[in-house]
Amino acid sequence: MDRRSFIKLTAVSGTSAALASCGNPENQFIRFLPDEDIVPGVAVWKPSICPLCAAGCGLTVRVMDADAEVTRDGQAGIKRIAAAKKLEGAPAHPVNRGGLCARGHAAIQVTYHPDRITQPLKRSGDRGTGQYEAISWEDALAEVVSRLNGVDAANPRAVAFLSRVGAGHRSALIQQFAGHFGGSPISFELFGDDVLRRANAVSFGRDQLPTVDLANARFVLSFGADFLGTWNSPVAQSAAYGDMRRGRPGIRGSFAQVEARMSQTGASADEWVPARPGTEGVLALGLAHVIMAASLQPAAAAGRAGSMVAGWGAGLSDYTPQRVEELTGVPAARVDRLARQFAELRPAVAIAGGAALAHSNGLFTAMAVNALNALVGSVDQPGGLSFTPQFNTGSALKFSPAAQPATPLQMLAADALSGAAVPQVAFVDGVNPVFTTPRAWRVREALEKVPYIVSFGSFLDETSALADIILPDHSFLESWVEAVPESGVAAAVASVAAPVMRPLYATRATPDVLLEIGRGLQRPLGAAWQTFDEMLGASFATLPSTTPDVDAWTDAQTKGLWSGVLPAGLARQAQAVADGATYAFEAPRFDGDAKQFPFHFLPYPSVPFGDGSTAHLPWLQEMPDPLTSAMWSSWVEINPTTAANMGISDGDVLEVASGHGSVRAGAVISPGIAPDVIAMPMGQGHTMFTRYATGRGANPAEILAPVTEAATGALAWAATRVRVTRIGPPDGSLVLFAGGIREHLEQEHR
Amino acid sequence: MTHPTGSQINRDLLHPLFNTSWRFYLLVAIFGGIVLFGLATWFTQTVNGYGVTGIRWPVYWGFYVTSFVFWIGISHAGTLISAILRLVNAGWRRPVTRCAEVITAFALIIGALFPIIHLGRPWLAFWMFPYPSERLIWPNFRSPLVWDFFAINTYLTGSLLFLYLPIIPDFAIVRDKSTGLRRKIYGALALGWRGTPKQWHRLETAMQIMAIAIIPVAVSVHTIVSFDFSMAPVPTWNTTIFGPYFVAGAIFSGIAGLLIAMAVLRKFLHLEAYLHPLHFENLGKLMLVMALLWGYFVFNERLVTYYGNEPAEMSVYWRTQSGTFAPLFWTMVICNFVLPLILMGIRRFRTITGCVIASIGVVIGMWLERFLIIVPALGHKYLPYSYGIYRPTPPEIIVASSTFAAMALLYVLFAKVVPIISIWELKAGEHPSPELLPPATEEHRLGDLHL
Amino acid sequence: MARWGMAADLDRCNGCGGCVVACHAENNISTVGPEQASRGRAKHWIRVERYWEGDFPDVKLKFRPTMCQQCGNAPCEPVCPTYASHHTEDGLNAQVYNRCIGTRYCANACPYNARFFDFFNPSWEKPLQLQLNPDVSLREVGVMEKCTFCVQRIRGTQTTAKTEGREIRDGEIQPACVQACSTRALVFGDLEDRESEVSRLSRSPRGSKLLEDVGTRPAVTYLARLTEEA
Ligand SMILES: Nc1nc2c(c(=O)[nH]1)N[C@H]1C(S)=C(S)[C@@H](COP(=O)(O)OP(=O)(O)OC[C@H]3O[C@@H](n4cnc5c(=O)[nH]c(N)nc54)[C@H](O)[C@@H]3O)O[C@H]1N2
Ligand SMILES: Nc1nc2c(c(=O)[nH]1)N[C@H]1C(S)=C(S)[C@@H](COP(=O)(O)OP(=O)(O)OC[C@H]3O[C@@H](n4cnc5c(=O)[nH]c(N)nc54)[C@H](O)[C@@H]3O)O[C@H]1N2
Ligand code: SF4
Ligand code: SF4
Ligand code: SF4
Ligand code: SF4
Ligand code: SF4
Ligand SMILES: [Mo]
Repeated sequence: MDRRSFIKLTAVSGTSAALASCGNPENQFIRFLPDEDIVPGVAVWKPSICPLCAAGCGLTVRVMDADAEVTRDGQAGIKRIAAAKKLEGAPAHPVNRGGLCARGHAAIQVTYHPDRITQPLKRSGDRGTGQYEAISWEDALAEVVSRLNGVDAANPRAVAFLSRVGAGHRSALIQQFAGHFGGSPISFELFGDDVLRRANAVSFGRDQLPTVDLANARFVLSFGADFLGTWNSPVAQSAAYGDMRRGRPGIRGSFAQVEARMSQTGASADEWVPARPGTEGVLALGLAHVIMAASLQPAAAAGRAGSMVAGWGAGLSDYTPQRVEELTGVPAARVDRLARQFAELRPAVAIAGGAALAHSNGLFTAMAVNALNALVGSVDQPGGLSFTPQFNTGSALKFSPAAQPATPLQMLAADALSGAAVPQVAFVDGVNPVFTTPRAWRVREALEKVPYIVSFGSFLDETSALADIILPDHSFLESWVEAVPESGVAAAVASVAAPVMRPLYATRATPDVLLEIGRGLQRPLGAAWQTFDEMLGASFATLPSTTPDVDAWTDAQTKGLWSGVLPAGLARQAQAVADGATYAFEAPRFDGDAKQFPFHFLPYPSVPFGDGSTAHLPWLQEMPDPLTSAMWSSWVEINPTTAANMGISDGDVLEVASGHGSVRAGAVISPGIAPDVIAMPMGQGHTMFTRYATGRGANPAEILAPVTEAATGALAWAATRVRVTRIGPPDGSLVLFAGGIREHLEQEHR
Repeated sequence: MTHPTGSQINRDLLHPLFNTSWRFYLLVAIFGGIVLFGLATWFTQTVNGYGVTGIRWPVYWGFYVTSFVFWIGISHAGTLISAILRLVNAGWRRPVTRCAEVITAFALIIGALFPIIHLGRPWLAFWMFPYPSERLIWPNFRSPLVWDFFAINTYLTGSLLFLYLPIIPDFAIVRDKSTGLRRKIYGALALGWRGTPKQWHRLETAMQIMAIAIIPVAVSVHTIVSFDFSMAPVPTWNTTIFGPYFVAGAIFSGIAGLLIAMAVLRKFLHLEAYLHPLHFENLGKLMLVMALLWGYFVFNERLVTYYGNEPAEMSVYWRTQSGTFAPLFWTMVICNFVLPLILMGIRRFRTITGCVIASIGVVIGMWLERFLIIVPALGHKYLPYSYGIYRPTPPEIIVASSTFAAMALLYVLFAKVVPIISIWELKAGEHPSPELLPPATEEHRLGDLHL
Repeated sequence: MARWGMAADLDRCNGCGGCVVACHAENNISTVGPEQASRGRAKHWIRVERYWEGDFPDVKLKFRPTMCQQCGNAPCEPVCPTYASHHTEDGLNAQVYNRCIGTRYCANACPYNARFFDFFNPSWEKPLQLQLNPDVSLREVGVMEKCTFCVQRIRGTQTTAKTEGREIRDGEIQPACVQACSTRALVFGDLEDRESEVSRLSRSPRGSKLLEDVGTRPAVTYLARLTEEA
């Protein structure tokens, strides 16, 4: 018996004698022996990584002693632990350079959320009701293993693994795990960027999101990309944006935003250009036309990206400013001026993203913007866009590439419903497709057909509540975390961090669980590592160290990241997609008859919640939305003139109906939205997602039409038409922080 | 006009003290019940947190501070009016002064409760008091709230004295007419009053001094209450007119309160013979003057704001003239100006009923005036993003309205133990039979005293 | 003696709200929940005000992060009966929660509506209390709270500098909102030091003070979002 356990024992017997009579068995735990060597009252700072979006910002976590109710060895009690206290942006991290977005700050509430799942659960009630009973890890894992041993090895779709998009090690492991059963992980993100990745693959041979060198740009033209709010790597882009505005003596970069509903990013633009939804690509080509026609740049300057656009070589004669005005609603003179600005204010860069690409012709739009960039020489140049060299974790780990391409989620659902291919086991990790997919895809019904669902979720949400067994993951602060950013930084970066605190509960790190399941299978996974950190160590060891006399793995752990020049074999390779086709404008296809459904419907990622995955964090719920100041609520944005014509006042309850369903929320009359567009933020409307998000507001995904982008099959989430009906006066569900919306209020009260 | 004789006076005015009807118990039960309910509500507010009220960011003052200013205003009825009437030696004041002075005392006590009721942490209210704490932390003498503390305490002390002094001879009368414990109590209260010329002389001198001293105190009290607002850089608050505006408003509402009290006393204590229509008419005329003065101040306040055209102030201005608060504003104008002008300006309407109707209007109107000074401005302070609208909640409404019951309860109890009309002053007034007057007063008829 | 000040470059600020949540995290500001939020009880020591200008399609939006301006001549100070709101030697408007009795007078007097009242006892649903910052005291029901310029960080750095026997370096003190701001719109430092970045920015021709004409002498300078190159 060592000294520590001796003290423990005496303390336990002493305090339990004293406290047992108080009927507080959980207090029998010893309180004053810390888990680790931490000096009370002295803070230490440890690196970690923000898990809340794909940007992968680096964190510095303040850790101090605290008394916490924890579970240790199956027993719950109060214990003095080293606890994370605050998340701050890691100053030296090349992605976020010390900054952190609102979501990043709130990430600590994931760990301390009162509704976290604290141990493995087995379903005891009907699917979706959230009734579960406790089960031990041993029993739970045994059950999963036996289920997996029973699947049909010849059927590549017997195991479905629903997970997040990513290029990191966890994703690689999941890929390997899914591949073991013959399939690929299925990732669906409502606001995903598959269209843009494909366009970049076609235009530039890079199947990747671009990194925009805003800091050195003189003119930025964004087609729908909310790059300061929710798109791609917002903190990195915000930092660069700040420098674009005021970081260079005597030079102030200008910026115009093309979109039909003013986003947080559009609000910062010098010029806001509302174009008709689905015609953004026409505007981009209109600019290219003017630039070529005015001989500001030769057509050939656009190279391959230009040659992929139909009519490029002929100077895009179909895209004269007049024609562009007809199609987009942007005045011809403005098209002309924007084009000249774009060509003359060098370096200039155009960004495409968000709603602009969420149409049936999204790929065309992205290709058009790519060609525009190429035309003015903004690719791989300072002040333009480039592609971050990305660490290929698969090759570092010597994983075999996926055998089968992933089945798109809607196809998985359709096949399961029709009985064509029902997965025998489904895994769910970090995604909530029941919430984020259009109701029309019937993902929930499809999942209900799956006989056995395993979730790694930390919370009961719409999808994890369908699971038969829940194997709760640690929170990111309690586990090894890593990220391989796709964008947001010029040089290659791979971040990694050890747990900053010990787990509060009887949870287990999902990668470790996967490895353990893999070991237990009749046909073992055959991974070379027992644990995830071993796997990370092996992977980072392949990288060249950037500090003399320290190996790369140790170095990365101290710094929280590795950054440097990737050896050729470890970098993701550029691959040209040669499909021979050229792209021309095709009118976007909208679901719903324009007479019956007069408005374009624009769901958009909410600044605090994104697609809704962070709606359970109270700090984010109470954070006023940047544009509307709404807290804890859903709303419908509508143009003032439209509202006046329809007799709608601020806060009135509106029903927004598409051909696929209807949702209700309070009206926010906003000057920053086109008269024929209705917008709603994603994020709320959860039927089950902890005490803070359940039953709050409405989920616009429910009424989305299953329109897809023609070439990529990605969901065209901006392609639904709706009608709006005033249901009644404000019902109190819309909570605004702000009173007035205009600073100068001459006419407001007369 | 017939005047009761001395023994009649004693019989009438001492009757309520010696005879208790069921109506007294009923009234005490009703008003007492409401007061207890109000107290319980305030207690739950204190226990549960101030959040049960409708106060919010940025409208941090609402019903309670409105009630505070309102009651301090009502308190101007008594002592101030009585002091002025005493100094100008208006003979008709005699039956009126005491019921007026009582209003002051009780309205002040009630008003002074609100700064405590409205505190976030009322249990620490004593930190506003200047006392030599062991840490030598004094209150901040630059804070108008501390000025309030001094002003209200001074006025309350003065008013209580001013009320008490002329009761002494009446206590003596009660003492002389009672036996047992009651005699002992009233004896103590009468402070050994024997009615000697020396005592009369001292009493009258004291009354003269008090009457003079209390007037500036009364004027300062409401000026200082107005400083709670005018000292803060809140649009439409930060104005020099607030001092006189508040004093005028206070006297205005005070007269209205007094008229209502007189009418109620007259009816329920059957004092028709003492409170004549003339008293009502005279006070009604005074109220008319105050209505005109009030109207001038409101017009002036609006005009200056309008002419100055300062954006933040204009936003509040339009909010009350034609925006959210317009219904309340125009109700206030009708209650405080149109109604008293018609009822008090036209002789035919200047009856007791007319006075009561006008007074009720003025009380409502003046309550609204305070509300309209406080709430719209706080909700529209400079930065439009932070605009907000306040709506009272039931606890505030209950607590604020229960103070009216508290006023009634205190009045009923007071009238039960003290002759509500000054017996000796009435006797000292113009009476047809001089032999009924107490000898001392014959020598020193109050009306003959001049300073 | 230092005079702490801040500069907020509105040409950098993109309205992201990172500062808002950072301030909640640093200063133990409790969330009040939807019901209380709808009754105007949400506490945001820093808020990003936004104002619309113009009408569709020529519409613009302005963001302005707004916190206590740490006025040199603070209207919230003289009105406080207990000195709970008072001026420190280094020009901060200090709020002593323990001394506040909840008159809310200071909040009325504050032209910026920068003060927030605790209508109920702040509470954290377990184990959210583990996120609390031990350097910042918790408030109780009935007191007023507001931005302190993260005084705990100022004092902490002062102590460190003192024990190390040196001056505080410019930029060494970063309030939580400043630290969080991705665009570097917020800059903090000593206005007395003519060389400091904040003092340089405060003298910028783009700079102005909010509600300067009220006479509050704020310590926060807003740098205008000018489209001309300035
Ligand atoms: N058992 C025990 N006893 C101790 C100590 C110990 O550790 N254990 N420590 C000792 C030490 S070091 C000290 S310093 C003393 C401290 O002893 P005390 O001086 O009694 O300290 P507190 O209890 O902190 O506060 C005193 C009161 O001041 C009030 N207060 C706060 N602000 C104001 C204000 O503005 N005005 C007024 N009037 N009141 C205000 C508080 O609400 C509180 O009620 O205790 C000593 N006694
Ligand atoms: N939350 C909160 N914080 C406070 C206060 C409060 O009321 N509330 N009060 C403040 C006040 S007034 C004070 S004075 C401070 C007190 O703050 P501290 O000075 O930190 O007071 P203690 O915790 O009482 O004692 C400090 C340490 O001294 C050790 N000690 C005891 N005797 C000796 C000895 O002979 N030699 C040595 N070397 N060590 C010894 C004790 O074991 C303890 O670890 O706290 C301040 N901080
Ligand atoms: S952008 Fe925000 S949510 Fe995304 S990783 Fe960075 S801090 Fe986290
Ligand atoms: S964090 Fe910075 S950019 Fe974001 S709202 Fe605050 S001040 Fe503006
Ligand atoms: S901004 Fe308001 S709270 Fe802050 S010092 Fe100025 S007046 Fe006081
Ligand atoms: S609320 Fe507190 S800080 Fe404000 S004036 Fe009142 S006592 Fe002072
Ligand atoms: S300075 Fe500190 S307290 Fe003030 S707003 Fe910023 S983070 Fe909040
Ligand atoms: Mo102490």
